[in-house]
Amino acid sequence: MIEIRHVRKEFDEVEAVKNVSLHIQQGSIYGLLGSNGAGKTTLLKMMAGIYKQDAGEIFIGGEPVFENVKVKQTTIFLPDALYFFPHTTVQQMAQFYKDVYPSWNEERFGKLQELFPIDVHKKIHRMSKGMQRQVAFWLAFSAMPNVLILDEPFDGLDAVMRQKVKNILVQDVAERNMTVVISSHNLREVEDLCDHVGILHHGEMLMEKELDDLKADVHKIQVAFRNGLPSLFLRGFQVLFQEERGSVLLCIVRGQKEQVESHIRKFEPLIFDVLPLTLEEIFIYEMGGVGYAIENILV
Amino acid sequence: MRSKTFLFSRSIWLQQIRNIGWIALAHLLLLLAVVPLPMIVVYTTKATNQLPTWRNIYSISGPFQGMIAFTIPVLLAIFLFRYMQVKNSADYMHSLPFRREALFAQNMVLGLAILFIPIIVTACLTAMLCYVLPIDRSILAMADVMRWTAEMGLMELFVFTASVFVGMLTGLSVLQGAFAYILFLFPTGISVLVLLNMEYMLRGFASEYYLTAKLEQIVPFVRFLELESRSLSTTEAGCYIIVTMLFTALSLWLYRKRQSEAANQALAFPILRPVFLYGVAFCFMLVGGLYFGEMTVNSLGWIIFGYVMFSFIGFFVAKMIVEKTWRVFYKWKEYMYFVAAMLVVGVIIHFDLTGYEKRIPQLSEIEQVYFGNSTARFQQFFQEEHNVSIEQPDQFLKSKENIKNVYLFHQQLIENRNTHGALQGDFRNVAIGYVLKNGDRFIRTYSVPADEYMLFARPIVESNEYKKNYYFLLHDKGVAPIRQVTIIEEPVGEKRVTLIEPKQINEFMSSLKQDMMEEKMESLVGGVGTWGMIELLQSDGDIIHVTWKKTYAHTEQWLTQHKLLSKARLTAAEVDYALVVKNKERKPLYEILGDPNSAQAQQFLQQSATLRVTNKQQIEELLRQSASNPGDALYFIAFYRSGQREPQWEVIDEKNIPSFIREQLP
Repeated sequence: MIEIRHVRKEFDEVEAVKNVSLHIQQGSIYGLLGSNGAGKTTLLKMMAGIYKQDAGEIFIGGEPVFENVKVKQTTIFLPDALYFFPHTTVQQMAQFYKDVYPSWNEERFGKLQELFPIDVHKKIHRMSKGMQRQVAFWLAFSAMPNVLILDEPFDGLDAVMRQKVKNILVQDVAERNMTVVISSHNLREVEDLCDHVGILHHGEMLMEKELDDLKADVHKIQVAFRNGLPSLFLRGFQVLFQEERGSVLLCIVRGQKEQVESHIRKFEPLIFDVLPLTLEEIFIYEMGGVGYAIENILV
Repeated sequence: MRSKTFLFSRSIWLQQIRNIGWIALAHLLLLLAVVPLPMIVVYTTKATNQLPTWRNIYSISGPFQGMIAFTIPVLLAIFLFRYMQVKNSADYMHSLPFRREALFAQNMVLGLAILFIPIIVTACLTAMLCYVLPIDRSILAMADVMRWTAEMGLMELFVFTASVFVGMLTGLSVLQGAFAYILFLFPTGISVLVLLNMEYMLRGFASEYYLTAKLEQIVPFVRFLELESRSLSTTEAGCYIIVTMLFTALSLWLYRKRQSEAANQALAFPILRPVFLYGVAFCFMLVGGLYFGEMTVNSLGWIIFGYVMFSFIGFFVAKMIVEKTWRVFYKWKEYMYFVAAMLVVGVIIHFDLTGYEKRIPQLSEIEQVYFGNSTARFQQFFQEEHNVSIEQPDQFLKSKENIKNVYLFHQQLIENRNTHGALQGDFRNVAIGYVLKNGDRFIRTYSVPADEYMLFARPIVESNEYKKNYYFLLHDKGVAPIRQVTIIEEPVGEKRVTLIEPKQINEFMSSLKQDMMEEKMESLVGGVGTWGMIELLQSDGDIIHVTWKKTYAHTEQWLTQHKLLSKARLTAAEVDYALVVKNKERKPLYEILGDPNSAQAQQFLQQSATLRVTNKQQIEELLRQSASNPGDALYFIAFYRSGQREPQWEVIDEKNIPSFIREQLP
């Protein structure tokens, strides 16, 4: 759905995005992770057709984005700093979106009011930050876009509202095959939402992964043997990390879960547990070898 | 298809009108307040016996209309495109499904409506008032209203498109406003600055000649204020229309090129940064040079100081604007590039590597020369002259002799490069121009020390051709037969001789003309005494006034022969005595003349050495040599006339001091 090829962008001779390529499939929720200043916002704004890339190509649905009315009519970008026309009410903004986005769904707008307890005749500028963000989501969901680009979208939302918004997102992706791109500096915030994750660091794409693959591939295991560690035990698979805690060995290995299990069982371990691995840990161990201080990137 | 309507989105209209509708309202109210309201006020107040002297709509309140025309469109441009100068709104607007062309077109159309609708409403109301109120058609007619509508609309449109254009170049609304006004002044300002500075650097450069090209006419505000007396010519209107279209096209082109992230940047296009930096430095440099040049009367050292200091200030001020920080001084290297470039230009100009100062056409190519003390008439070479001066120091000369003499003088001036620099003492301005046989023209101006001028200009000034051009009375054509001659003594004016007999007039005229033809340079360039004035009544009713100089021997002789001299001027016989005062301190005469009874004047007279002259012959000599121009001469003379208490004060030039004064009052 979204195809980015060798995109580059610089501001004042500082390269904000360097030769980034990525591919986002329709109907997926893509998490763009990175620390502050990694180039996430710049990349998203290029995807939304706000900034023009200095080099490379950006396509949504096979068409270039920049100055393309057709693509932009089905793409909505929610910036981290929201903007509404001065002195407008929710109702007026809704009218504006209705005129601007052909796919606007008035029925949905009415339905969503149950979820967002906001007076439609209230001026948006008088609202709190969190409420403004709710309005932004409300409008974006009602416009029924094919592509929704969200820059740090959950800032200022309380936990309940966050969950509501995430639910609608997932529902839209499931029902309408909507494509979502979410940027965040916090992996835990989007962990439960994304199916694909990309890490941007200093304007470069460090890695891109499908989360299910990741989780299926990497395992954290705890084993202990009666007569100490068998010498050939660790030969069979790739070990990302190992640590001895007394007689217990904690290690993170890569491989198919069944294969790993059957391999270990051959040695008749005294203790054998497969522990849950957080996404954060996977990244840290995956990246550790590359030499990046990934902990700092992911908070 | 919906896509057909994309160019104009109803919602964007609505939003923009909500944002900037107040400007339309303000525009309308202001226009109503300065045009129809004064009309109603004037014509409905009871005291209508004093009707206004309006010639057109601008007469009602021209300056206020100017203020509206030069503020509302600028404000409008700023607010219409405000969205692209603020980061959040720029991002938002450009994330919407509109092409930039569409946003631009929509804003421009809205802008035009906000400009034109109030003007048209005001015009309609004014036209209505013209009929309703008892206004004479000769004061305000429909045609005036039409003209006003067209010109006001065009001017506002011009200001609006110019402001939109600069808005595309900058990302700050404040700078958009500032740049708009700078843009209006820029063409004139830079021309004046460059021309005046060229004069410091290039000896002979006639900035005065190029400056008379009415540069102020291209400053739009100035032109607007003159609309009252002069409507826009077709050419002018055409220029404004073309420039307006150009601004619009350029704005659209720039908007499409402009990045959204330019919001909040001083300059929207990085390529403009060096242009802006060095441009500002250059302009400041010229201002600095001009300031110190005018203050120190062309002292080269100070001018260079001004260049360096002001370009330094200009460069770093521009840098601060671009980088939006005070801390810019560590970037001195970029300034040094400027200094180096200016040094090269300075060396090329100052050491005249282009040969400008030495350039002089071949003598054989010259068809006629121009010689005078200003370039004013050289300008009007091809134009018909409307005013004929009684004395014309600036003129075209065609005789071989004069061409050669002017040429020689010019060569002398080129060789004397040393006189360039600080001007002190007595200098005269000389303008030398050539009209070549191939039609080319060539003009230079110089400041020449008086001595040198007298030496080299003498053969020219004393030539018959020059004199004939100089005195209207000596022109071959233009002077109608003289019907009456009146000779009036000055400065008292109680003596008067009138000649009406044709024979006498003819004789008198021929001696006067002879005096003029024989006149020496000293007498021509001024500083000699005068007896009075000669008034010549022509057959066509016009009067020519001629100065009766003391050097006019033939005239005096004729008057003596006809026993009219004592009736025409003051003679020694009427002077009881003369008091010669030595002005050791060289005070100007007007200090004493201003109030002869003041304590200061009395003190001056008491302290100064004086000589009382009673010998009639000596008095006559003093009368002949004295002049009445108030200067700081070494000797003042007071002539005490019989029967008059107040003396007549004159001065005497050092060159003409009679020997008896030299002896008795050294």
